Amino acid sequence: MTNPLARLENVSYLYPGAKTPALKNINLEIHSGEFLGLIGPTGAGKSTLCQTLNGSVPQFYGGRFFGQVIVAGLDTVQHPISELAHHVGLVFEDPEMQLVAPSVENEIAFALENLNVPRAEIRTRIPQVLAAVRLSGTEKRHPQELSGGQKQRLAIAAALAMRPALLVLDEPTSQLDPLGAAEVFATLRQLNRELGITILLTGHDAEELAEHADRIALLAGGELVAQGTPQEIYSRVELLAAQQLRPPQVTRTFQLVRQRGVAITQLPTRLAAGKRLLHALPTSCPTVEKEHVAAPDHLGPALLAIKNLTHHYANGTPALHDISLEIRAGEYVLLVGQNGAGKSTLVKHFLNLLTPTAGTVTVDGLDTRQLETSELAQRIGYVGQHPDDQLFTASVEDEVAFALQNLGYAEAEIERRVTVSLRQLGLLAHRTAHPLSLPRGDRARLVIAAVLAMEPEIIILDEPTTGQDYRGAKYILDLSRKLHQQGKTILVITHHLYLMPEYAERVIVLGKGTILLDAPLRRAYHAKELLRRTYLTPPQAVLLAQELAPPEGEGALLRVTPEEVAACFLPGGGR
Amino acid sequence: MSHFRSTYQHVARDSCFTRLDIRSKLWMICAVTAVALLWQNLVASGLLTLGIILVALWAGIDWRYIRSVLLLSTFFGVTLLFFHGFFPHGGIRQLTRHATLTPLFTFPAHWQLLGGQALYREGLLYGLSVLAKTLSVVLIIPVGIFTTELDNLIVGLVRAGLPYKIAFIFSSTLRFFPLLVARIQTITEAQRLRGLALEKMGLLQKARNYAKITVPLILGVLMRSQMVELTLQARAFSGSSERTQLHDSRLGPGDYLLCACSTLFWGGALIAYFGWGIGKW
Repeated sequence: MTNPLARLENVSYLYPGAKTPALKNINLEIHSGEFLGLIGPTGAGKSTLCQTLNGSVPQFYGGRFFGQVIVAGLDTVQHPISELAHHVGLVFEDPEMQLVAPSVENEIAFALENLNVPRAEIRTRIPQVLAAVRLSGTEKRHPQELSGGQKQRLAIAAALAMRPALLVLDEPTSQLDPLGAAEVFATLRQLNRELGITILLTGHDAEELAEHADRIALLAGGELVAQGTPQEIYSRVELLAAQQLRPPQVTRTFQLVRQRGVAITQLPTRLAAGKRLLHALPTSCPTVEKEHVAAPDHLGPALLAIKNLTHHYANGTPALHDISLEIRAGEYVLLVGQNGAGKSTLVKHFLNLLTPTAGTVTVDGLDTRQLETSELAQRIGYVGQHPDDQLFTASVEDEVAFALQNLGYAEAEIERRVTVSLRQLGLLAHRTAHPLSLPRGDRARLVIAAVLAMEPEIIILDEPTTGQDYRGAKYILDLSRKLHQQGKTILVITHHLYLMPEYAERVIVLGKGTILLDAPLRRAYHAKELLRRTYLTPPQAVLLAQELAPPEGEGALLRVTPEEVAACFLPGGGR
Repeated sequence: MSHFRSTYQHVARDSCFTRLDIRSKLWMICAVTAVALLWQNLVASGLLTLGIILVALWAGIDWRYIRSVLLLSTFFGVTLLFFHGFFPHGGIRQLTRHATLTPLFTFPAHWQLLGGQALYREGLLYGLSVLAKTLSVVLIIPVGIFTTELDNLIVGLVRAGLPYKIAFIFSSTLRFFPLLVARIQTITEAQRLRGLALEKMGLLQKARNYAKITVPLILGVLMRSQMVELTLQARAFSGSSERTQLHDSRLGPGDYLLCACSTLFWGGALIAYFGWGIGKW
């Protein structure tokens, strides 16, 4: 570590009109050449801290700012944001909002043009950064034609191209598939090591931050709670739990092993270290355990059915090819696949938001082409990827009441259902607030509340955990389990595979518009190579389980959770 | 999204127009506009409009866009015909050099308000001529603008001497409309997902619904503009013209040819108008 490139001294900040500070007396140094991870629950002040570094806070937002932030020798209050941009590149959380150019290559060139970088140099950097984020070949495409994950990678590429001394990334991988996120992390690490770019990254990717960051700072309630190496921070599992955060799965697994009486001096935070420790400890998996397979009789008839579905977009691009599947009443299905695999395209057919190019889609035996979206929506509650696209009224309660008014419920019934739904999602206290004034996590929950108020029998959650911290994600998934237990059919799309073993029964793996695998969750999670083909990686617990002796006998338990893996370690061992 | 791009932004296919610089196309727009404004003759103006529609289709402008312009102009056209037909101003008499105009029919004298009022042939023809002029001007613009990639548009405008900030604002405005339309679509889709049966609504109900979404639409746009402003500043945008450009803007033989043809067309039209009265009423 060398001199600090950036220094925050006694920084406190209140947004205009806010009563409580978003940042409280922060003292933090960011050293030249380091990779600093900034973690914390939603609302901890991570984004605000990021924006102090390029001067957006307080220059853009106003509000009351105390203390001093110095970046590359410049006081961020005294120098305009456009000048600080020479030194600080900022990637925001929502890529949709930060793409400003009419083509991919122009998006990358925009900042370089502003910085007066010669044309030849711009032309050199464009393919470099596009290759780094797996977007080669998209130079001439319009950014709006890219998928959510691709847009995110483009925003990162645009920031990378500036080669700033400090690159600040605010949850840049939240919308990426796991391998995409891993590649971005690897790219950042490479830029960090080879070009010496200092990186500050916020996010909830504990596994990746443990692998790549030099240092972790933990923010909670606007205060800097702890800082140290990933080993020092992530091994403090209780501290993380107190902040509703989670350690990497490998750390969690060996914490459970330690609780079984195995002496472990240092909890591993990286997968490689976990595998070494696993092989050094005595293990023996119980042989009596068998895979729990849901009895077929708890499931009803086929509720959603797709037969030979092919879909091409209006411009002729193929999205889905000859897909057939059935989802039975009462199932909890997980739909996974890389960014752009066709997951959202597939589920939109259930609601007649998209029409099949070929094949049929039926809901309870009825062809969706014969039904209007508004009719289908009464049976299928669909919560899309971007909450802000689905909020359109002036208050939280109006948002929930909207559907009920359309369905013709009486005022008293509407009032009852609004209250129940808001209480269920923990939003009752905000019922008169404007939807867009809520934090992103709450906005996502509001959309769910609005959909649940209709009491649909099928619920489709499209990336419900994106932008949520661990607590928020668990809250939504626990609710989905509750609904499933009430007999609802649930279909969830997510990249966060580590969250799902407790919830889903069946996994459909989609890749390049076709079904690669349709299997019970445990078998799907252990199909490592197949998952890799669609840019997914199994959770660390699965990778650790695969290091154990292979399970014996047909139907033997394929382990997928830290608890199940930890059960294989024999008490009394130690290292 | 792609539909909106092809309809409101850049054309979907290449043509000789997509290979030309915006500056030569701006010159063409100016020349055609000048001729359209010069001619009063309905046949000449109509032929010019028809020619521009054919050129627009050849240039790859989506027929749906042209159709929407024609549909939107219907209301404008009816208004023009009504006012010029029933209430021809003095200019029409001067133009036709007729002291009295030709009535096509007259409302019975005992009718309230309209009693005795005549519909005049010259007024109708003048209204149609104004409509044709307007359509020519409105339809020649996309031939130049929609056939130019937005980044080339900015570069071309800057090379034409426009301050970068103004060129950027102009291109941002062009980008804004498809985003606005997409946002309206997204909101209505979200409403349908909450049981709103838009397809069963009458025009009035639909209009009321669209009025309701104005506020979230504006709020969404404001939030987006704020975010875009933040992003622009974070990308070192200052509005200064002192910046490099990824793309160059050079006038090629095709551009010079278009400029020459446009100038000839304009010059020829002027000579023909004043020399032989071609294009006059």
